[in-house]
Amino acid sequence: MDIFANLLLGLSVAVSPINLAYLLVGVVVGMIVGIIPGFGPSAALAILLPVTFGMEPTGAVIMLAAIYYGAQYGGTITSILLNTPGESSSVASTFDGYPLAQQGRAGPALVMQAVASFVGGTLGVILITVLAPLFSQVTRSFGPPEFFLLVVMGLLTLIVMVGCNWRYGVISALIGFALGTVGVDLETGQTRFTFQSAELISGIDFIPIAIGLFGLGELYFAFYKGLHLSGSGGIVQYQKERRFWPQGRDFVETRFTLMRGSLLGFGIGVIPGAGATVASLMSYSLEKAVSRTPEKFGKGAMAGLVGPEAANNAASSGAMVPLLTLGIPGSASTAVLLAAFILWGLTPGPLLMAQKPEFAWGLIASMYLGNVALLALNIFAIPLFVLMIKLPYRLLAPAVILICTIGTYSVNGSIIETWLMFAAGLFGFFMKLYGFSPAALVLALVLGPLAEQSLRQTLTISRGSFAIFLERPTSLWILGITALMLAAGILLRRPR
Amino acid sequence: MRAGFILAVLFVAASYTFVAFRDLSYLSSAGRLGPGFFPRIIGASLVALCLYSLYADRKREHAGDAASPYARTAVVVGLLSALFVALLDVLGGLLSMIAFMAAALAFLNPGRRLQNGLLAVLLPLAIYLMFRVWLNAAVPRGMLPLPF
Repeated sequence: MDIFANLLLGLSVAVSPINLAYLLVGVVVGMIVGIIPGFGPSAALAILLPVTFGMEPTGAVIMLAAIYYGAQYGGTITSILLNTPGESSSVASTFDGYPLAQQGRAGPALVMQAVASFVGGTLGVILITVLAPLFSQVTRSFGPPEFFLLVVMGLLTLIVMVGCNWRYGVISALIGFALGTVGVDLETGQTRFTFQSAELISGIDFIPIAIGLFGLGELYFAFYKGLHLSGSGGIVQYQKERRFWPQGRDFVETRFTLMRGSLLGFGIGVIPGAGATVASLMSYSLEKAVSRTPEKFGKGAMAGLVGPEAANNAASSGAMVPLLTLGIPGSASTAVLLAAFILWGLTPGPLLMAQKPEFAWGLIASMYLGNVALLALNIFAIPLFVLMIKLPYRLLAPAVILICTIGTYSVNGSIIETWLMFAAGLFGFFMKLYGFSPAALVLALVLGPLAEQSLRQTLTISRGSFAIFLERPTSLWILGITALMLAAGILLRRPR
Repeated sequence: MRAGFILAVLFVAASYTFVAFRDLSYLSSAGRLGPGFFPRIIGASLVALCLYSLYADRKREHAGDAASPYARTAVVVGLLSALFVALLDVLGGLLSMIAFMAAALAFLNPGRRLQNGLLAVLLPLAIYLMFRVWLNAAVPRGMLPLPF
């Protein structure tokens, strides 16, 4: 009964006119962000974070979260119509989405991806509703060793599952940790790496780094790859009146796929570091493995589109569980969300749901409404978003640079931070160019202070012995899951 | 070029590690782990991994290492955005945005003067109004005695 009472409380917060307005803005912006290739939700969240400063905290976080999960919906439209994923988690949707469109089934593919996204997203939120309070209970017993291992697990999983080269991934994470040590050491009060600069005493702010790496860095890389010259010429036309709706057999054939994709995606999403991209690729492999007609995969199998779509949306919901209950983000996007929480004075962790129920449950309830709004948008506003696909990148990019720069300046009114953002942009470009992981850097920057504090506390408790990680049952569980994820990641990356 | 990038990271990492070992103590005055404990681990690991990467990559050719034909565009956009940041303190937010948009669009979208002109004025104005008026956020004022 507690869950229902809390959900009702959350709904009362989410349906206030101002929060509903923020939610709608968030889902529309998320859709647009998902559609634009080379511009992911992490960049959008980082860039728009300063824009939320004038808002009330719950509304701001509702809007940012809606951008985050809305982007999962939008990314598939370009996958189906243009064979270009709007973002990495929609890559698997190109495998069968584009062949379906080429066969004249773009309309059914678009509707089925919307339905799959809705089922995955909504099932994910239902699971959050049920599991997040349980997680909160369990994680209250976590001590410094468990928190340190969770940070390590998140980073290692991210590096092994998504990164191109483990060495470059670890280097990226270590750079993030190093940046996180700049400023005052909270335990001793001693300054570190400040070089007598007053600006550095409070540490390196996360926002300029995130905006630079994900906003400017991605944009320079897109120019380097010639994205500004690629038009929407290859876009597949779809018929709005005739053959737009899926047939009954599409739903019947994919009913179990929807469930499998959603459950797998949620499970992967809960594990810090794994994320929506891994979930969608694993779901595709799973569907192909269990299908009676695996030869149809890659040639326009509806299950090959529906599974990954349900999985990536469920994963984005699942990723909210460690964020809300542990304060540990599993991806760059959720790291920016964590930064937003902290900026608003909200500390995600085991006590958040008990201490700030109106915020936590307001956010969860808004995700139900957001998924409904996204379903409607995805089916009835497709022509509008197809127009967005046609917006030339060469016009869009300068506007993004303006918002990145003015947005960074507006946070603290600091020109030094604006230069820092520019430097991070250049660094992010080279990281992308040479296969390093900006996401690991940002995640490590956000989690660095927690990692350092929990490791120091752990070694103080154990009097310097690392054996403590093997002596506590919960730590052993986390180590076991980490080993499993690493093994799965290595197996997934083996060339076939 | 990749080796150059790793060398640059190695140089910064080595400096970081040097400071961590020279200026930051491993133990605090109370006998607990001090401010140098974590940075020493991070710095030493970073240096070791960069060195290993340089060694491991010495004969490997990477697909992304060949320069893109669009590198010039990326460099020009990078220079324009650096100039934009430099102008913020001089011209202020609104004028710098207009100047940047005009230059960027003239380069990226040549020949469409009316479209570029309208975008170069209207978009910065909208962004200025959003940040300054709607969000009441800080926008650079510049050195010129202008009302915005």
